[in-house]
Amino acid sequence: MTDLTCKIGSIEFKNPIFTASGTFGYGNDLPEFVDVSKLGAIVTKSITYEPRIGNPPPRIVETPSGMLNSIGLANIGVKRFIKDIIPIYKNFDTKIIVNIASSTNNEYVKVLKEIESISSDIIGYEINISCPNVEHGGMELGVDAELSSNLITELRKHTEKLLIVKLTPNVTDITKIAKAVESAGADAISAINTIVGMGIDIKTHKPAIYKTYAGLSGPAIKPIALAMVHKISKAVSIPIIGIGGIVNFENVVEFLLAGATAVQIGTANLRNPNAGMIIVDELNNYLDDSRIMHYSELIGKLKLYE
Amino acid sequence: MIIDKSEIIENTQIAKDIWRMVFKSAEIADRYLGAGQFVAVLANDDWEHPIRRPMSIANVTDDRISIIYKVFGFVTEALTNLKSEDYVNVLGPIGNTFNVKYETFYPILIGGGIGLSPILNLSKCLVYKGIDFTMIIGAKTSTEHFLEHNPNENLFLSTDDGTLGIKGTVIEGLNIVLKDIRNPKIFACGPEPMLHSIQKMLEEKSIPAQFSVESYMACGVGICQGCAMHKKQNDGYFLVCKDGPVFEANEVRFD
Repeated sequence: MTDLTCKIGSIEFKNPIFTASGTFGYGNDLPEFVDVSKLGAIVTKSITYEPRIGNPPPRIVETPSGMLNSIGLANIGVKRFIKDIIPIYKNFDTKIIVNIASSTNNEYVKVLKEIESISSDIIGYEINISCPNVEHGGMELGVDAELSSNLITELRKHTEKLLIVKLTPNVTDITKIAKAVESAGADAISAINTIVGMGIDIKTHKPAIYKTYAGLSGPAIKPIALAMVHKISKAVSIPIIGIGGIVNFENVVEFLLAGATAVQIGTANLRNPNAGMIIVDELNNYLDDSRIMHYSELIGKLKLYE
Repeated sequence: MIIDKSEIIENTQIAKDIWRMVFKSAEIADRYLGAGQFVAVLANDDWEHPIRRPMSIANVTDDRISIIYKVFGFVTEALTNLKSEDYVNVLGPIGNTFNVKYETFYPILIGGGIGLSPILNLSKCLVYKGIDFTMIIGAKTSTEHFLEHNPNENLFLSTDDGTLGIKGTVIEGLNIVLKDIRNPKIFACGPEPMLHSIQKMLEEKSIPAQFSVESYMACGVGICQGCAMHKKQNDGYFLVCKDGPVFEANEVRFD
């Protein structure tokens, strides 16, 4: 039997398959057939300090092998999250990572401190400095190495828990941002967030999405995500959580070879919220059949052409 | 709600670009609550078209579930190629149902375009319960209709081009029908402009209505938050998959 246990920072996960923020809600209130206990971790939908209602519709549209979304960080706000959702996690047989988004450095710190102030089952944070769908705080922060570094330095002061930084691909050189957040004390990097894209309806001459620009996800972005993960893996020594169009175990193996220690399943959850659990089983069978004792034997083992 | 690989019993064209598919799913039928609920269908297993298509349930008999769909893109075109004994990947049933207070209102059912699917479903429920009602079905042109225009049987058809039934939209039909009816309540499904027109008309006349709304949607289970629908009361949004698809007409805002 293959060993799937995965270590990031001081935390041990039962496997390296996590759900990506925004594609699995808060992990509660899912259809009866979804078994979250099979997952390595759930990364929650982005939490902001104040509740947000999100962007007007249309918010999503399908594109070739992918989709565009601009939800606008709709969420219940940190206070209700603490009151109504965090207590539920006691009964969850998987690790919970809270994704935090914000408009200002101060607000990121406030959200993190609110959650730090209570005793909970939260094992860490994923800091979203890469949302393309809000006016402030998302991507503009994530494209600037110094701003990113300052934020992570500040957040690091307030938590001992796992601090993961989610990077945007909408930059000239992602390794600069990766190095900056590593130096600032991040425990891990997750990459990539969605790529800025756009659709146009030729019947109405309007953008396909209300906010014009939106985030592209799904298998269409997997080659870009793989390249970014590979580049980051050569630039930093902290673990990388690969994200971008993973829909089956073969895709997971690609990301592991490219240098990821774990992966997150995103768009595939929207087709089947059990996608992550199915991939865990597939990966297990593949590794067993390949007589690989521990999945980590694949991490970064890409064989480059001479 | 369940995901089921369902065996197709029948998949036939019933009008221009309009198809009916009947598939077998005891799992979905067991969980089915009534007219208004929908399923989300995956035409094939590849990832070129990642997202399921929401489609209203037109009928449930034992373990047989019917949907009526319009062909307007690659995915719906691909659906037409499926044959009986093929399998289709279906998530459902999703959402709430029409709530008919039979004892106090006279139901007028309105279906526009492919919105007639849940309306036909509702009409069958009313027939089964022995409740009298009037139905108005609108289409662009006669070839999109597969029912008979029959005012004597309280079934009115309208076409935008006048080639069948009443010339104009379902609004013209509704104006005719409303003259003879006391205490009406409208149950409507169709494209947003149609529902918006009905909403404006009924507001002036203070007639209650329930709408089953259509929306872009990715997951159908409430996690993607893609199917936002403006609330009338405040700046917030409903999710069509979780809070709908059926809403009281005065709860929602079209713009």
